Amino acid sequence: MDKDPKYYFQISTASGVPIYRQIVDQVKTLIATDQWQPGVFIPSVRNVSKALEVNPMTVSKAYSLLEKEGVLQSVRGRGMQVATVKSAANDLRDRQEEMGPLIDQVIDRARQLSLDYQQLQDLITKAWEDKDDE
Amino acid sequence: MMSDDYCIEVERLVKQYKYRSVLRGLSLSIPRGSVFGLLGVNGAGKTTLLKCILGLLKPNAGHLRVLGDDPWRFQAATKSRIGYVPQSDRLYPWLTVQEVIEYVGSFYPQWNTKLVHELVSQWQINPTDKYGVLSEGEAQKVAIILAMGHEPDLFVLDEPVASLDPAARRQFLKTILEMVIDRGCTVFFSTHITTDLERVADHVAVMKSGLIDFTGELGQLKDEVKRLRLTSQVPLPNDFECPGLIGLERMNQEALLSVRGFTPDVRQQLEQRYQARINVEDLNLEEIFLELNR
Repeated sequence: MDKDPKYYFQISTASGVPIYRQIVDQVKTLIATDQWQPGVFIPSVRNVSKALEVNPMTVSKAYSLLEKEGVLQSVRGRGMQVATVKSAANDLRDRQEEMGPLIDQVIDRARQLSLDYQQLQDLITKAWEDKDDE
Repeated sequence: MMSDDYCIEVERLVKQYKYRSVLRGLSLSIPRGSVFGLLGVNGAGKTTLLKCILGLLKPNAGHLRVLGDDPWRFQAATKSRIGYVPQSDRLYPWLTVQEVIEYVGSFYPQWNTKLVHELVSQWQINPTDKYGVLSEGEAQKVAIILAMGHEPDLFVLDEPVASLDPAARRQFLKTILEMVIDRGCTVFFSTHITTDLERVADHVAVMKSGLIDFTGELGQLKDEVKRLRLTSQVPLPNDFECPGLIGLERMNQEALLSVRGFTPDVRQQLEQRYQARINVEDLNLEEIFLELNR
């Protein structure tokens, strides 16, 4: 975890997504993709804040939300680490949650195109099977 | 009631110029240690408010408290805790940058020469240039450095980034954040460049015709102002309405709404009342600013 926080985070002010939510999502992605493994200490609020030129309260809001969700845990005097205890159920829920925003986009787009639920489901089923065949 | 939690407190402030009322009973509280952005279109009264806060203008009515002191009767000790960057400042055009820095520094018992030198070299200013011939951007950098040299507890800036190029703006924002993180000072600045504000501010106020239209945490503003795309099963009635509506474009069965004070309840209400499907879209700060100033 010696890398500059800039290596891990990409903040955009053009999208309407609040910066704290961008950080929350990106931490989850880093963990879900094993770039940040359980027990690893993550960059401090002040380092992230300075590196990304983002208000420290924004970063600490993101971290404390993640702590509440059990994704991170704080260790007295040493900072924040990726949670070490993770139940199988929790892990599944995290991975499902990771899909949330994408699924929302798919549903919104489908509705704009006047596709109903069944038609969308058929598309997903077909795409899933096509992938299996590849 | 004044409390220690706030660095600046403004209550029902009124300021009239001869023919024009600029502040009309404005109230605002700036939390200690916050980076507070004041947004407003040209002529909203931002500069007048800042000048009242600094004791440079005398309000006609209302109550003001800055670092526990009344700005119009600031004690010298309080003044030395404040750093101010005015919108345009070209005092001492005949002096070189180095001379201006030494001159201004001589007024303060606690002048941080090291910090000032660092900033001058970081921001690539030539200390032997005459202050009067600097470009807008360079002069603004010098003004910022002059206001930081005595390491103020409260930093007040009027459109600080207006004439800085993108690289200098980023450097400036970084310096501001370092001051907040390392020294716990409070920063209050006016701007209409929303992308900068979005990164560094934790609190914002939107000023409109001499009053505060919104004030609160930046995240709260973003949660409360949304754009809704509504598609109804039936033609929308003429008396179509929605709580907190600030903008509406409608076609037959579709509507694009801008809403303030948004909550999930609003969405549900609309979905039921108009048999509609609704997409809620996040807005960036610039879009929010434009919506609030329709």
